[in-house]
Formats: sequence, C-alpha cells, structure tokens
Amino acid sequence: MATIEQAPPPQVPAGPSHGPGPDHPPTSTGTTNVKLAIWLFLASDCLFFGAFISAYLLYRGRAQTGPTPAKVYSIPFTSVSSFVLLMSSLTMVLALAAIQRGDLRRLRIWLLSTALLGSVFVGGQIFEFTEFSRKGLGLSTNLFSSTFFVLTGFHGAHVTIGIIWLLSLWALATQGRLTQKDAEKVEIAALYWHFVDVVWIVIFTLVYLIPTK
Amino acid sequence: MSDITLRDDSGATEVAGQTATALEPSAGLLPGELRPHPSPLRYVLIAVVLCVITAAEVSLYYLEGSLADAVIIPLLLVFAALKFGIVASWYMHLRTDKPIFARFFVLGIAGAILLFGIVLSSLQIFS
Amino acid sequence: MTTVADAPTQTPVRPPVILRRPKETTGVWSWFTTVDHKKIGIMYGVTALVFFCLGGIEALLIRLQLAGPNGTVLTASQYNQIFTMHGTTMVFLLGMPLSIAFANYFVPLMIGARDVAFPRLNAFGYWMFVTGGVFLYSSFLLGGAPNGGWFGYTPLTSTPLGLGALPGRGPDFWAVGIVMLGIGSTTAAINVIVTTLNMRAPGMTLMRMPVFVWMMLVTAFLTLFAMPIITVALIMVFFDRNFGTSFFLPAKGGDPLLYQNLFWLFGHPEVYILILPGMGIVSEILPVFSRKPLFGYPVVVFSGIAIGFLGWGVWAHHMFTTGLGPVAVSAFSLSTMLIAIPTGVKIFNWLATVYKGSVRLTTAMLFALGFIAQFTIGGLSGVSLAVVPADTQQHDSYFVVSHFHYVLFGGLVFGLFGGLYYWFPKVFGRMLDEKLGKWNFWLMVIGFNLTFFPMMLLGIYGMPRRVYRYDAGLGWGSLNLVATIGSFIIAVSVLLFIINAVVSRKRGVIAGNDPWDGRTIEWSTSSPPPEYNFAEIPEIQARDDLWHTKYTEDDDGVLVPLPSGGVDTPAATRAAAAPTHRIHMPSPSFYPLVAALGILPLAYAAVFHSYSWAFLLVAGGAIILAFGIYAWAIEPATAAEADH
Repeated sequence: MATIEQAPPPQVPAGPSHGPGPDHPPTSTGTTNVKLAIWLFLASDCLFFGAFISAYLLYRGRAQTGPTPAKVYSIPFTSVSSFVLLMSSLTMVLALAAIQRGDLRRLRIWLLSTALLGSVFVGGQIFEFTEFSRKGLGLSTNLFSSTFFVLTGFHGAHVTIGIIWLLSLWALATQGRLTQKDAEKVEIAALYWHFVDVVWIVIFTLVYLIPTK
Repeated sequence: MSDITLRDDSGATEVAGQTATALEPSAGLLPGELRPHPSPLRYVLIAVVLCVITAAEVSLYYLEGSLADAVIIPLLLVFAALKFGIVASWYMHLRTDKPIFARFFVLGIAGAILLFGIVLSSLQIFS
Repeated sequence: MTTVADAPTQTPVRPPVILRRPKETTGVWSWFTTVDHKKIGIMYGVTALVFFCLGGIEALLIRLQLAGPNGTVLTASQYNQIFTMHGTTMVFLLGMPLSIAFANYFVPLMIGARDVAFPRLNAFGYWMFVTGGVFLYSSFLLGGAPNGGWFGYTPLTSTPLGLGALPGRGPDFWAVGIVMLGIGSTTAAINVIVTTLNMRAPGMTLMRMPVFVWMMLVTAFLTLFAMPIITVALIMVFFDRNFGTSFFLPAKGGDPLLYQNLFWLFGHPEVYILILPGMGIVSEILPVFSRKPLFGYPVVVFSGIAIGFLGWGVWAHHMFTTGLGPVAVSAFSLSTMLIAIPTGVKIFNWLATVYKGSVRLTTAMLFALGFIAQFTIGGLSGVSLAVVPADTQQHDSYFVVSHFHYVLFGGLVFGLFGGLYYWFPKVFGRMLDEKLGKWNFWLMVIGFNLTFFPMMLLGIYGMPRRVYRYDAGLGWGSLNLVATIGSFIIAVSVLLFIINAVVSRKRGVIAGNDPWDGRTIEWSTSSPPPEYNFAEIPEIQARDDLWHTKYTEDDDGVLVPLPSGGVDTPAATRAAAAPTHRIHMPSPSFYPLVAALGILPLAYAAVFHSYSWAFLLVAGGAIILAFGIYAWAIEPATAAEADH
C-alpha cells in the first residue's frame, strides 16, 4: 500500500467573497437559491421552445393545403403586438427599479402597466387566431397551421402565466405586502417576463419575417 | 414541530441551509449582482434602441423580393440575435450579474441551437 | 411558483390561514405534509420499490408468456400493455425516483446542509411522481394501459383512435402521465442543482464533494435539459391523437423521424440519467470497503462530466436503420464509440481502487463489484452495437434487450441495491442482515445472468423484440425457458430483500453512527440523523473529510488510527451532539400535496376531454391547483409559531 491518501490540502473556504444580501442566509455561490432556480428553469425552457420552433421550421411549406402563411399573416398587426410586448419589458424593468428605490407607488403603476401590455399582446394573439380560422386555417388544416398554433399557443400560455404572476405581485403590493426588501420577488418575475419576450423576438423573426418558400 | 428545542436559548439563530461562512452584506445590490442596475433613463434609451432595430426588421420584411433572400435572412437573424442579446444583457441584467446565470442560460441556448440544428440538418431541411 | 417557493418571508402581516399549518412530525399526517428531505427520500425509495415490484410482476408475466413456443398466458393486446408498462415503470417509476431517493436523502448529508434548497418544491416533486404513477396505472381500469412501447414510436401511437390504430386510451395516458412525471423530475433536478451549488458546508469545495454528489449534479443537469424535449414530443403525439393535427402522420406530410429524433434526444441522455447515479453509488462503496481512497478522484469526476456532455451526441444510434445517410450514421457511430472512453476510464479507476485494498466483501461491496462486472458486459455489447453493420443485423432483436438490461439491471439496479445495503444503517439506524443479503446478491447474480445472457444468444439467432409468441420450429424454446427460470430466481432474490428490509427495520443489529468505518461526512452524524442533520455544520478540511479525522499515515505511508479518532474527535462530537442553539427547520406544509392533487384531475380531463363532464375536472383541478399555489406562495417557509 504505497499511497493511501494525499495529505489534506490547506483549508480553502468554499464561501464566496460576498453574500447574497443582508436579509438572506449566506450561500456557497453568493447568490440566492431562488435566482439560481429561475435561471435553471429558463435554460430548460430554451429546449422546450427550441423543439417547437424546430418542428415549425421543418414543416415550413410542406404538404401545403389551405391558405399559405403569406395569405394569413398581417405583418403590420403582428409588428404592433411585438412592439407592445417589447415595451412591456421596459415597464417591467422600471417596476424593478422602482421597488429597488422603495418607490412603491411607481412599482404598482409599472407592474400594472406590464400586465396590461401583456394582456394586449395576448388579446392580439386571440384576435389573430380567430382571423386565421375565419380565413379557413384551423389547428388541423395543415402542418404549417398545426405547428404555428402549437408554438405561438404555448408561448401565449407562458405570457398568460406571466400576467397572472404580475397581477398577483401587484395585488400584494397594493396590500403593502411587497416592499423594498422584496425586490428579488419582482426580479424573479421580471426574469421570467423578459424570457418570454426574448422567445417572442425569435418567433417573430423565424415565423413571421423570414420569407416562406 | 419543526423547531428543535434546545439546551441553550442564547438567541443565536440559524436558518436551515445556512451553511457558508458569514458574509458581508452587499450594499444596494440584489442577490448575485456584481454591479448596480442601469438607471431608468438608461432603460428607456435601451428601449429606443430595441424599437429602432424592430423598425429595421419590419422594413426588411417589406424589401423581400427586391433584395435577395441571401441578404435578408442573415440580416434578420442578426437583428433578432442583437435584440435577444440586448434584452438578456441589460433587462435581464446578465451584464452585471454573476456569470453563473449567464452560463446556465448559454448552456440552454447553445444546447438548443446545436442539438436542433443537427436534428434539422439530418432531416435535410437545409439542403 | 418558483419565485415564491421558499424565500424566507419577512412580511410582518400575518398571512391568512386557510388550512391549519401542519405540525405533526410523526404519524400518518407527518408523511403527507413533510418537507424534510430525509422523510421525502424514504418516501421516494419505498414508492419506487413498490413500482419496482409492479414492474417486476409485469416482467414475470412477459417471461411466462415467452417461456415456451406459442405461449397462451397473455393475449397479444395484453402483452402489448404489459411490456409497455414494464419499460415505462422501470425507467420512470423505478430508475429515476430511486436515484432521486438517494439524492434526496444523501446529497444534503454529504455536503453538510440541513435540507435541500427548496423543501416544499421537493415535496411537490415527490407528489407529482406519486400522482403520475397512479395516473399511469389507473389506465388499466380506464380503457386499457399504454400499449405502444415505452418509446411510443409514431405513427403507431399518434394515429387517432378512429383511424384504427392502437386500441384503447393507452397512448393518451402514456403521454399525459410522462409529462406529469417530467414536471416532478424537473423540480427535483432544479433542487439537486441548487442544493449542490449553493448549500455546501464551509470548506466543501466542488472538488471535495463525494463522487455520488457529483454524479447526481450531472444527472440533474441532464434531466433539466432532456425533459422539455420529451414534453414537446408528447404534446405533439397527444395533439395528433386527439386534435386532428398530423405532426407525425406521414399520410398528411408529418415526419415520424422528427418524433424519433425528439424522443431519443431525450431518450439517450435518459440512459445516463439512469446510470450515472449508479456509478456514483459504486464510487462511494468501493473505497469504503477497500479502505483506500477512490483511485483518481478528479478523473472519475471529469469522466462523469464528459459522459454528461457526450451523452447528448449519440442519440441517433437508436436510428441507424432509419436511413439517416452515411455521414450522420458514421458520425453517430464514432461518437457512440467515443463515449465508451470515459466509461472505460471509470471502470479502470474502480478496479484500481479495489486493487491491493483491504477488501471486505460485505453485501454492499458485492453488489458494487457485480455492478462493475455486469456493467462492463453491457457496455461492451453497446460498443458492438455502435458498429453499424452489426447494429443493422441486431437492431430490434433480443440482443438489444439483453444489452440494455445488462446496463440498466446489471448496472443501475445492482448499484441501487448496493446503495440500499450501504446506506440502510444510516437511514434506519439498524443493519440489514448480511447473511440474507448474500443470498439476495448471489441469487440475483445467478438469476440475472440466467435471464439476460440467453437473450443475447436469442438476439443473434434472430428473435425479434416485442413479439408475443413464436413458433416451435424456430428453436428458441429452450433458451427462453432458461430466461424465464432466471427471472423467477430474480423475483425470489427481490423477495428476500423485502423480507430482509422489513425484518431488519425492526430487529436488525443497531448500527451506530459509523458502522462501515466510512469516509464521507454523512457517517459522522447519528443514525438515523436528527431532523437538522448536524447540530453544528461541519467545517470541511479535505476530501473524505471523516476519514481524515480518524486516520493518518506514518512515514512509510501506513495507516495509523488517530488516538481519539472518528466519532470521538471534538469536531465530530460537536456535530453529532445535541445542538446548543436554535435551529429553524422549514415547517411541514399541506400545499405541495394540494398542488399535485390539483394537477391530477387536469390530467384526467386531458385524456377524457371529449366527454361533456370533463369540464368539471378542469374546473375542479384548476381551483385546487390555484389554491395550492397561492396558499403555498403566501405561507412562510418556516411557520411563525415555530419561533417559540
């Protein structure tokens, strides 16, 4: 038995250089558990949307029956609703900035505006879906419509969950149960919200703007 | 009861999971941040930039036909990546946060692009 | 939900009380409301073993049917349900949850934490596993179990009922049930990652973590990224069957190969999700019973990480016979052979760990050694399958069945049983009986090889998978009979384990803190550990920290016990002593269970959406789910009353 065990190395503390904040127990990485968790979830969700987007790209222009994408898309309309969702990201960061300053009045205003802009986006999507079906393009009409509805539908479901989340935070804020020290709760919701926005940035380009063969 | 009753109630309190050494609080920063967030004005300026890029994207759409697809498609992809990057780094604060979050996110994005890229090319979508 | 989950609430306003805050730590209710990682770990383990028995009974039915030519035990339709549920059960209801059981119990203990990062999310993940499993099995009573194979190839599974595909609602139950289980395993994965990265004791650097913790970390990342892909595939299958889409229906332009890509993009990482925890457990057992440190710890860790990455680059080897084209086939053949390298490195590291050690052949050690031997056979048959011409011959034959059972039974299950024998004393404070254990081990080795080695030959002789009967003239009868006999020997050995566990739980030898002369810090606290794990969080000085408090080396490198080593050192005494200050543990909660129970009616509503009463299920489920989530969000992680 020549070597049994290397000598214990000098002690290196696993602790970080600074902690996650005064109100939070120290952690090994110096970040809170919940922020690590939301980023892990968002990373996982990339694969979720990636799979739907791939299906859309694969089936673009295949087995075309019924109306073509070019026939049903209304780019001006979708551009406006994309713009609305983009602006909701702005109001979201303004809400976060407000709670970090302790400006609870503006926090409530911006949270509500974000939820409102999100609702306008979802409303636009519902309008778009009904328009499509009026033009004879239902979920099962062809491969394009199936992939389109499933992809944008699941994105819309994400936005809807975000709206409920924001309204819940807003309700807490109006009851005075969301104050400056709860800034991280807004930050977590904001990360989810921006993620839904960046996914739409990708969908807008790949699904609407890139010309179809 | 989950509270464990103990011999000494000297007031020292420990929360479950508190395992690292005591750390100095970080003034004015949210957990996991290395530098402070941008000011609201900066946020608005970024929104303006995002709007400009979006306008450029939509105008490119209307140039389809007069410009070759080989020009339009790469441009559209670059614009989308640009917007994605700006929102992720400024609004999602990856610029100023600890790099661990960006690493997770890049793992997800790069994984998705790489894996689904291989799937799509094996199904001959690009040929 | 993630936001609110477990951040300590500082709200001065008292939250509205809807359900009383549960306080029980013993009795039936304590199990329904617990958020203690150790209790949840035990529940994961017991539930997974119940499903193991169900999956095992299904396996025995398959073997009875195939014992001789023209078997009559099962009809073709029953056979399809049984083999589908056998695969689904063993992958999703045994392999993953039993690994999560060990991770739940031991990751916090091995890194010196008091609990996981999100105790209530942890409970929720467990209840999703239970409700998902119950949902899948309820299909037997509600119009037929899943019957399209655990891989659910399209267009077989995705053809709508009316168009004369698979009878019954099996594929619907299968798709929805696996999405439910996916929710559970994703939350568990997030919990493992955050706990491992964020809750380590002072001094517990990443490269001092036990290999089991490392392997669970890699496994958790694989789960995190694999589950969304299968979720999308299953959503599409469900839409094809129920809502008239044609994602995977070639008649309307859909591409079944897209499904195969998505499925195996999940499915192959899933194989590593199953085997890496087994590798981690073996890497803990071998050093303890060889009284030597793990040979080449950093190499074992990096091999595990390498497997985690390479595991994403081999999925198409399941599709060699689908006409991928020569480039893709060659690339995936090469990458599949490549992944054998880190795996082989690990095997040599384990052998070098045992080499010249003072080996104690306990049952746990026997299972670990059995793992190495049989996993190597499984791995080598895998490399031979990576050779495309051989694969083309053996594809969908019993050779493949033999190969993955050598890996997943000979590997994973042996590793898990080793873990059960190794850690049972820590969990229950009593030793499992070694004599029964050895019977358990030897019967399992014999039964396992009798069952699965003949299958390798049968595959070479041309017996295809998934056939429910075969003709006498094919000459497969005797080997099949041997396999059936072997499977009943396995059943006897599992029965011995259950008897052993039940009896030893009550009457086993008292274990003490450190019955095996262990190396890692879970052995420094009492058995079973107190709710708070360590009275004082240990300060980690080295890899195999506990070992260094017990032994040192003299100038010739010979082991010398420290005079007051082990559990008698001041640090260890402090860790195991009663705490000297207040420790706040998270309080039990009803809401993880409530939230999971809200998803169950929604799942049934999805399957039975065409009935008029389905909207009642939707409404009921949505109300329960919303109530569960909101009450969970408002409820503080640690109850205010717990502050006395």
